[in-house]
Amino acid sequence: MILTMKHALRPSGGLANFGCVSAELFGVLLLSLALAGAQALTPSHHLSLSDVGRLQNLLNQPYDDLESAYYSVVGLTKLGAAVPDPAEVCQFLKSQLDPGSVDSLFFAAETSKAISGCEIPVSNETRDILLAAVSEDSSMSQIHRAVGALSSLGLPLASQEVVGALTARINKEDNVMAIISALQAASRLSQQAELGGILEEIEDLTARLDDLGGVYLQFEEGLEATGLFVAAAYSLSDHVDMEPPLKEDQVIQLVNSIFSKKSWDSLSEAFSVASAAAALSNNRFHVPVVVSAQGPATVSHNQPTLQLLVTDVMSQPLASASVLVESAYALASKSTVLNQAPFTHNNGVFELNFMSSKPASGYYQFTIGVTGDSRLVANHIELKVKVSTEVAVTNMDLSVVDKDQSIGTKTTRVQYPSKAKSSFTADSHQNFAMSFQLVDVNNEQELTPHQTFVRLHNQKTGQEVVFVAEPDSKNLYKFELDTAERKSEFDSMSGTYSLYLMVGDATLENPILWNVADVILKFAEEEAPVAVQPKTLYVPKPEIQHLFREPEKKPPTVVSNTFTALVLSPLLLLLILWFKLGANISNFSFSPSTILFHLGHAAMLGLMYVYWTNLNMFQTLKYLAIIGGITFLAGNRMLAQKAVKRIAAEQSSRLAKYRSLR
Amino acid sequence: MSNSVVSVISRFLEEYTTTTPNKLKVVDAYLLYILLTGAMQFLYCLLVGTFPFNSFLSGFIACVGSFILAVCLRIQINPQNKGDFLSISPERAFADFLFAHTVLHLVVMNFIG
Repeated sequence: MILTMKHALRPSGGLANFGCVSAELFGVLLLSLALAGAQALTPSHHLSLSDVGRLQNLLNQPYDDLESAYYSVVGLTKLGAAVPDPAEVCQFLKSQLDPGSVDSLFFAAETSKAISGCEIPVSNETRDILLAAVSEDSSMSQIHRAVGALSSLGLPLASQEVVGALTARINKEDNVMAIISALQAASRLSQQAELGGILEEIEDLTARLDDLGGVYLQFEEGLEATGLFVAAAYSLSDHVDMEPPLKEDQVIQLVNSIFSKKSWDSLSEAFSVASAAAALSNNRFHVPVVVSAQGPATVSHNQPTLQLLVTDVMSQPLASASVLVESAYALASKSTVLNQAPFTHNNGVFELNFMSSKPASGYYQFTIGVTGDSRLVANHIELKVKVSTEVAVTNMDLSVVDKDQSIGTKTTRVQYPSKAKSSFTADSHQNFAMSFQLVDVNNEQELTPHQTFVRLHNQKTGQEVVFVAEPDSKNLYKFELDTAERKSEFDSMSGTYSLYLMVGDATLENPILWNVADVILKFAEEEAPVAVQPKTLYVPKPEIQHLFREPEKKPPTVVSNTFTALVLSPLLLLLILWFKLGANISNFSFSPSTILFHLGHAAMLGLMYVYWTNLNMFQTLKYLAIIGGITFLAGNRMLAQKAVKRIAAEQSSRLAKYRSLR
Repeated sequence: MSNSVVSVISRFLEEYTTTTPNKLKVVDAYLLYILLTGAMQFLYCLLVGTFPFNSFLSGFIACVGSFILAVCLRIQINPQNKGDFLSISPERAFADFLFAHTVLHLVVMNFIG
């Protein structure tokens, strides 16, 4: 823990600018973080040897244009792989070269520089085209490619002019890829030039990275941008010999992002990953370390050495590294087992004979430190190591004890792995008892494994019942079977049961399944089921028939018909009464409005019937509006005429009455 | 007691048949018809059951509504009530009766199912 702190407080390039007080405050902050239990980040992804192979295969594909040739050849050289057939590559470059295009010149020049013995012919025109491209009017990518081509072709270039063009261009083109191109271009310039302004862009770009869960750090533009950024940042930092303003955790987060993707979509993406891998394994400031156990992190009596692989992000072994166990403590008892124990280097693998310190079986937490190079990042890791052992069963005693203790117990000792010669009988008045001890074969200590089960298996019916054997305070395991009490678990089936002891644990190399004896159990058969039915959980269940909703009970048709007649009968009575009263239609005037009114009225009643049978409310209202309108107008006319007639009749009768009175 | 009731009823009937104009008697006959129809429907419902309930309701409401509208018509065309309905002529009363019936029938038909 203290080593971690000292390491973290080492002043980096950025921190050196602050004053002493700020450094102290920073230290206090780190102390509190360390006390809070924050662990330094270690890489969760890196390029294993098979990943590197796959990347090489992808880069090795045949190409048909200069850009693909550039990615392929330069990518392979970055991975340290050999370029197949360099002479053919050189021929291809010369044939495909377009001396008027800056891009074409860049790809050809860079590729030719990667393979030795390939010279691209340069003319004055070419040089002029390239120099003309270096101005603040070209795009950043053009400036970078022109600078790269000029540098690779060995042509002179004015570094200060380039810096001016780059700085002016950064103001206009603010996106991530443009600034990465600027960094790449700056790393090709002379060291005397004023590169400070461009160097500051690294810090700005770092601020633009997205932090995902504290584990990944990447640009939203994607993996390619992140990879190219890492390559460009370290290349420029190496060029000016100033540590990049990336914190250790940020470096590891970048490693996680770039190497988390194991299959690459395009040649340019593969190239960016290869560039980043090369930059991170070989720069002057930060080299992330990948420590992993070879095989499972387990030691035992047969395999006493813990073997570790310590490599860089490309799975290349670190040249000068010494590995040390800073501390190791048992997880169960928290007692320290090792302190500052070194690993020995053996054939590319770091080994430690852990069993020589005679650890008890269980899990141990190792804190491992890798030293030897001041550039190493994430060089303290926590590793959980398992120590496994073999168990032996001793002092296995079986006995049948009478419940009232009147008859003395008879104990039979059984040796593993043989079976007891005679079988034991227990009925409802007796208990069957078993006791044993579990010891570690190597150091004669008592063990308490996770799984100590006693299994009773009925030979005839296949039924099995499992119990747990518990240790007492002296780690002596005891198991007692009370025949009367446990009869429900056996379903009261009497018979011969095979008794097995099952012992298992994650730290045991030899789990035990031991048929100890046969036990004949006799239950008082009060409610003995005839045979044991196996659980019928998975048998098809009876089919459910769907019950349709039953229609409601209707009254018999006779009743309905009777009541229909009864309901209609008052109509008959009405007609009779009207006839008797002398109601008539003698006053019916056959004027058109009257006829129209009656027709309309009849139509409305007819519409009601049609509504009942066919229509919905909206249609009915529509028809009703039409018919009703006609009926209303006709009826209005008719009634007005009637009113006129009535008033005339009243007036004439009044006149007649007046005259008769006179 | 029954004597007086019988005499009241006979007196009432006598007055009714002599003083009521014919027009009103026609309407009264109609009212009796509606009443009996409604009573029959209710009897069915009591005896046999309410299935289907919506049909019973719509039939019964038709009878009740028609009865009420006919009573209104009778009140409005009674010459003795002329003073209360100065602005409503008998023709107007009849027209209102027809319109209200149209609405009632629309509702009843909707509900009859």
